[in-house]
Amino acid sequence: MKMFSAWAIMIAATLVASACDRRGKIGEEEAAELENRANRLAARLAGNEVDTTESGILARWVLPVELKEISGLAVTAKGNLLAHNDEQGRVFVIDPKRGVVVKQFMLGKGDLRGDFEAIAVSGQEIFMLVSNGTIYRFREGADGESVSYTTIDTKLGRECEFEGIAVDGPKQLVLLPCKNVSKKGPKGQLVIYRWSLNGGPSQQPTMLTVPLTLLIGPNGWKSLHPSDMAIDPVTKNYVLIAAQEKALIEITADGGVVSAGPLPEASEQAEGLAITSDGILIISDEGNRKLATITLYRWPFQTAGTSISSTAPADTTR
Amino acid sequence: MPFFRRFVDLFALGSETPILRLVAYYAGLGLVILTLAYFFPESERLLLGRGSATPGQTPLILEDGLTPAPTPSTLAAGSLLELAVTTTLVLIGTILLMLPVTWVYMSARHVPGHSQAVVQTLIILPLVVAGIVLIVRDSLALAFSLAGVVAAVRFRTNLRDTRDVVFIFLSIAVGFAAGVQTLAVGAILTITFNFVMLLTWRYDFGRNVLTPTAASKWSGPLASLANTGEYDAVPDRDLVLSLSPQSADSLAERFERVSEVLGKRKKPRYTSVLSIRTNDVSDAQPLVEYVLDKMARRWKLDEVVTNTGKPSEVYYIVKLKKSVTRDEFLTAIRDNAGEKIEHVDLESRDAEEEEVGISA
Repeated sequence: MKMFSAWAIMIAATLVASACDRRGKIGEEEAAELENRANRLAARLAGNEVDTTESGILARWVLPVELKEISGLAVTAKGNLLAHNDEQGRVFVIDPKRGVVVKQFMLGKGDLRGDFEAIAVSGQEIFMLVSNGTIYRFREGADGESVSYTTIDTKLGRECEFEGIAVDGPKQLVLLPCKNVSKKGPKGQLVIYRWSLNGGPSQQPTMLTVPLTLLIGPNGWKSLHPSDMAIDPVTKNYVLIAAQEKALIEITADGGVVSAGPLPEASEQAEGLAITSDGILIISDEGNRKLATITLYRWPFQTAGTSISSTAPADTTR
Repeated sequence: MPFFRRFVDLFALGSETPILRLVAYYAGLGLVILTLAYFFPESERLLLGRGSATPGQTPLILEDGLTPAPTPSTLAAGSLLELAVTTTLVLIGTILLMLPVTWVYMSARHVPGHSQAVVQTLIILPLVVAGIVLIVRDSLALAFSLAGVVAAVRFRTNLRDTRDVVFIFLSIAVGFAAGVQTLAVGAILTITFNFVMLLTWRYDFGRNVLTPTAASKWSGPLASLANTGEYDAVPDRDLVLSLSPQSADSLAERFERVSEVLGKRKKPRYTSVLSIRTNDVSDAQPLVEYVLDKMARRWKLDEVVTNTGKPSEVYYIVKLKKSVTRDEFLTAIRDNAGEKIEHVDLESRDAEEEEVGISA
């Protein structure tokens, strides 16, 4: 009995110490550290601080284990980052400048399961893409909230496999770059479907194609498999990344190639892409053997890939 | 473990019924966990799993991938403390979940006696398994190393009862649940397991209704043993080979006592065995004996088998009056003591002889 009491007191003391530790001292230190992080990032962005680590990198945050298989990224109007993994309908809201998970919310009543590949934001609305072309449409929820959603079946799953999504808010267009085009689809082209949010379920989405030869150029890629896409909030150009080829491509909205080159060396498996209005390009890298990360780069790149002059784009209806 | 006995006594209001005591233990444990979760919300992660950081625990500060943490010593101390607390709680949780399993193992058994080694294994094994899982965590390399180490050690232990294997499997499962910090799964598993085990034991689930009674099982061999005629007799030389002097003496003593009970005359003094199953021996006995006084020529209380947590059994040896049939006798007992007894049966020598005759 005495021995048990001693154990109980020891455990209780440890628990109390642990709780006090978390709620008091560490909290204050963390707050100071977060402020420090934001200041450091601002200094780097303004060019006042020389990047001592890797060229062009403003910051890198190691994500929690729940985001080990991070799939998509998007930036909200408030500047927060939305992230999700590829199995759950759970969205993590991250402050990218401080490196804090601000909140999480879920789709539906429970944890919705699916092959979620990408996420995009347009105003108050959020769009999450499943690889078969189905899109979940919902609004941002509070911390821990389960939000309701509607689904859009684009019926494009047979045309190609998708891993990226972007939304052109003013034009009300959902942009879906094909990772793998079906056998019946156009050969040797980068294909981006444009699904109108006002077009209804029976619409015929238009298709933007860019010849791969123009994109590949001297880069030596055999093909191109885009893993995510974002719209530059300043230039309105389309920016795509491809994890397989480690490629970063920028094209205009009508298909003209602006640049096509390799991703920064620091990127291991780029699965998500987002660009903020203050010139930060954020790439999420899935952690194969370690935890996933998000890396913030100054955008546009100073040493971006090969600039290729714009050529005649193909703008067709499916 | 006097503390746990007092703890369970407190919640079970002193009852000795296993199911009630088990309910009391889990109620008390639930209360402790709820209190812990209320004051230390972080402890919920032990129940729900470390991989499922539940929404509502934000903000979560991400590790800086470029520069090391500003105050590594503080953070390291914090994480070490957290690791120590987590591991300790996991191991204590494992013990608390396995304790009632050992109680069930020791009490609810059809085979008399139990192995102390198995009881201790049931406590220790899940601790070891939980520790291993905590170490391996998500590391494939460690998992392979573990497989290699385990493959090098050979285990070969024979267990007396096949049900012991199930207990061992359960302890491994609880160890895994604790190791991946989903004690809730371990708790549900052990609670369900314990109650199912207790109920199957309580109601003798799975007993073959055709299983012969003691009387019919032994009447044939005893008859052939006693037969001194030319046929069906067990030759003395066989008994010499099969019995030791001690067991022969023991048997002789027992047969002497049986002989006294049966009487030395041609007709036996007692011809039937009345078996009663009741939860209330002291109340049922006078009611049954009242009927015996009325309807039996003579009777004698043979044995009272007291069981904890399941009905006790009372056996009488009886010789009914000639005018009383078996059905009348049983009806009278049910009328008089029906509320106090669960089951009554009368096995008579005549029926037994018929049964033996048929089987022969």
